[in-house]
Amino acid sequence: METSTKQNTVTEKFLKLIESSFPTIVDGKEKDLAIKAFVNQGVPTRKHEEYKYVNVELILKDDLSVATNNIISQEQVEQFNFLVDAYLVVIVNGIFSEELSRLKDLPKGMIVCSLDVAKENHKVIFEKHYSKFADINADAFIALNSAMAKTGVFVHVSKSIIIEKPLHIIHISSAKKAEIINPRNLIVIEENAQAKIIESYETSDTSAKIFNNAVTEIVVGANSIVDHYKIQDENEFGYLLNTTQVVQKKQSLFSTHTFTLSGSLVRNNLTIVLDGEHIETHLNGLYLTNGNQIVDNHTVVDHCKPNCNSNELYKGIIDGKSSATFNGKIFVRKDAQKTNAFQSNKNILLSDDGSINTKPQLEIYADDVKCSHGTSTGKLDEDKIFYLRARGLSEISAKKLLMHAFASEVVNTIKIDALREYVEEKISKRFE
Amino acid sequence: MANEILEEQIGGEYKYGFVTDIEADNAPKGLNEDIIRFISKKKNEPEWMLEYRLKAFRYWLTLEEPHWAHVIYPKPNFQEIIYYSAPKQQKKLGSLDEVDPELLKTFEKLGISIEEQKRLSGVESRIAVDIVMDSVSVKTTFKETLSEAGIIFCSFGEAVQEHPELIKKYMGSVVPYTDNFYAALNSAVFTDGSFCYIPKGVRCPMELSTYFRINSAGTGQFERTLIIADEDAYVSYLEGCTAPQRDENQLHAAVVEIITHKNAEVKYSTVQNWYPGDKNGKGGIFNFVTKRGICLEDNGKISWTQVETGSAVTWKYPSVILKGNNSVGEFYSVAVTNNYQQADTGTKMIHLGKNTRSTIISKGISAGFSNNSYRGLVRVSKGATNARNFSQCDSLLMGDKCGAHTFPYIEIKDKTAVVEHEATTSKIGEDQLFYCKQRGIDTEKAIGLIVNGYCKEVLNKLPMEFAVEAQKLLAVSLEGSVG
Repeated sequence: METSTKQNTVTEKFLKLIESSFPTIVDGKEKDLAIKAFVNQGVPTRKHEEYKYVNVELILKDDLSVATNNIISQEQVEQFNFLVDAYLVVIVNGIFSEELSRLKDLPKGMIVCSLDVAKENHKVIFEKHYSKFADINADAFIALNSAMAKTGVFVHVSKSIIIEKPLHIIHISSAKKAEIINPRNLIVIEENAQAKIIESYETSDTSAKIFNNAVTEIVVGANSIVDHYKIQDENEFGYLLNTTQVVQKKQSLFSTHTFTLSGSLVRNNLTIVLDGEHIETHLNGLYLTNGNQIVDNHTVVDHCKPNCNSNELYKGIIDGKSSATFNGKIFVRKDAQKTNAFQSNKNILLSDDGSINTKPQLEIYADDVKCSHGTSTGKLDEDKIFYLRARGLSEISAKKLLMHAFASEVVNTIKIDALREYVEEKISKRFE
Repeated sequence: MANEILEEQIGGEYKYGFVTDIEADNAPKGLNEDIIRFISKKKNEPEWMLEYRLKAFRYWLTLEEPHWAHVIYPKPNFQEIIYYSAPKQQKKLGSLDEVDPELLKTFEKLGISIEEQKRLSGVESRIAVDIVMDSVSVKTTFKETLSEAGIIFCSFGEAVQEHPELIKKYMGSVVPYTDNFYAALNSAVFTDGSFCYIPKGVRCPMELSTYFRINSAGTGQFERTLIIADEDAYVSYLEGCTAPQRDENQLHAAVVEIITHKNAEVKYSTVQNWYPGDKNGKGGIFNFVTKRGICLEDNGKISWTQVETGSAVTWKYPSVILKGNNSVGEFYSVAVTNNYQQADTGTKMIHLGKNTRSTIISKGISAGFSNNSYRGLVRVSKGATNARNFSQCDSLLMGDKCGAHTFPYIEIKDKTAVVEHEATTSKIGEDQLFYCKQRGIDTEKAIGLIVNGYCKEVLNKLPMEFAVEAQKLLAVSLEGSVG
């Protein structure tokens, strides 16, 4: 009983925040529905199965206020702009920044703009897709985002357009007092189109807790190819709850890569719905945790139609007092015959105080399928260390080499050279 | 053609669905403190036992039924259940001749001939059986032979009378009444069960076995098993169960506790064949069981082997707490669900001591409209250095209307732990079938062959007598169900 009253006061706190957050993308009835969904679900506690290993209270214990539009200079942006040859979008505290973005030379057939602008100027596309995939009743934080989101980025690639250069979206959080931001993104790739999208989450000039409750909806049209990357590199004040909801249409190919390099608390909810036949999906993830970090990756791959393939690989190296969670679910619906779904989670635990929780799940309702999952957790292999030491490497460099090798399986799936080099460099620094 | 075979095979009738016409001594329906006092009085229990029951009951009242399992069933009405039902025949039995002939017939039908057991006494492969019908234990065989070795094997009720110090010391030490909803209910209303104590240095000369039978209508069966293996002791324990065919759902909520001391080993095997309900999912037993063992001291070993074919709804996680250093936990399971059966079963391995090892092999087979879930926890606590676990959970699907699910939980807090888990889900390979058929083996036999091969790792772990029964059970439920 005690927890539920506590939960209620937290929920009430949020209702005040929702009131102070305006103007929002949706208003009126839709907003009311989102608020209602949020109140009905309440803020999840550790008793909530999906939030068992993440202490949401850590995020909510400080009094948060709605983030203001902080001014970020061009120089501050440059340190995160690791891709020279890319279209650039900069979002500061959830607000799309026209000045800092670099979108002058967008090719024909590609729209990149602020989501609230898209609501007016690209009404048809917006109404067709917005809030159609991220279900406000599925998670309290989706409902919260829906009720509070002011804007975010809108990306649209028209039919049969191939975008060669990647699009880099930098989410910069900056706060001097405890704040909450609710960015909302909508990415629509139409039939036969191709695109590469990189989202990076950074903090700049931050000295107080910043809770980033981001929701991204991605529509992958028939026969299209989409490459999606997430680089999560916030500082110790960053609390990131990143919901990504993907819908794939027939014969499309979608690859997503999540790299969690730092941040105080990172929770990723990644759901991919395979709504068509002959779809291919790849999910890769790497998390390197240290200190008191908490990283929780929740993925759902929902096979709705026959003849689809999905392949998931998540790896983690856990150090310090940090804790990492992997919770992967593969759903195979009744009609989804001839499904091939694979899932693998591998972890290395380096410290005495770290912990790993892993929960790979299969929920299968069709019989002609091949599904498997595997998970392993252990320390660095003594034999391998011995092998390297016998060849003259110091213990430390032997360990570093092995960790590099462990991480490289995921890093090597990055198809953009500049990005791969950047991530490699970041990882090298971490192991030093 | 394949579908016909499927229908035919899945339609295999439940063999043990008969009812024995034995006069029973029933308690009135319902659950309250008076009923508990009634049970306790019937069993002529000492005051402390009644106290324990009442404590458990009061705690149970504060609990809510658990809903986290991947099963759907109507909530049992706990006031509609008869909590005590005993075959009428109260005087102590000296020899088999005094046992009600109807009862003997029942067990003969079930394939457990007590007579035969007696005749075989001199032979190597003998088994001591404790038979529990509805709420009470009706007969324990080979008691005298066992007591010569210092082994105590008797009904739980007898143990409460004759060995209260052991019961007081161990009962509830592994599964306290506060553990969960059904454990609390069991602690309040349990009527009988088996008790087994293997003293220091004794290797039990024969397999011990309990046979559970639900007979009366409207009753629930709540039994408790307590097995204690003292230093250097060893015992292999078997458990079997059946129930009549009825349209109503009957509740079975048991508690099994195993304790091993230094260097002791307990091997616990179950063939669970409660009535699974009819083809349309009507009736059947709700099997909500808490089974747990603890390796209290160093070098202990507990091994669970189960073949689950019965029950409408199963909710069961035989677990091992590896407290002593170098202790070993094992779990081997075959769970078969058919028609509208639902099973949510698995294990928990809690690594606390150093150099502890655990192995989990789980094979699920689902057919018809059934749902079969594996749910397991492997936890390595901080300080449990060099813990090692290997888990393998495979599911086989037969037909496109059933479901197979895997929900493993792995929680690791020690860097020296090595934990591996793998799971696969698939159907019987067309190529495997083709290979067999090409060599002149018909579809049905080929499937029998493949399924038996698939389960072999687990069936191999069963004692011989059970292995035969288990293979037959598998054959009845599944032969020929894929094409």
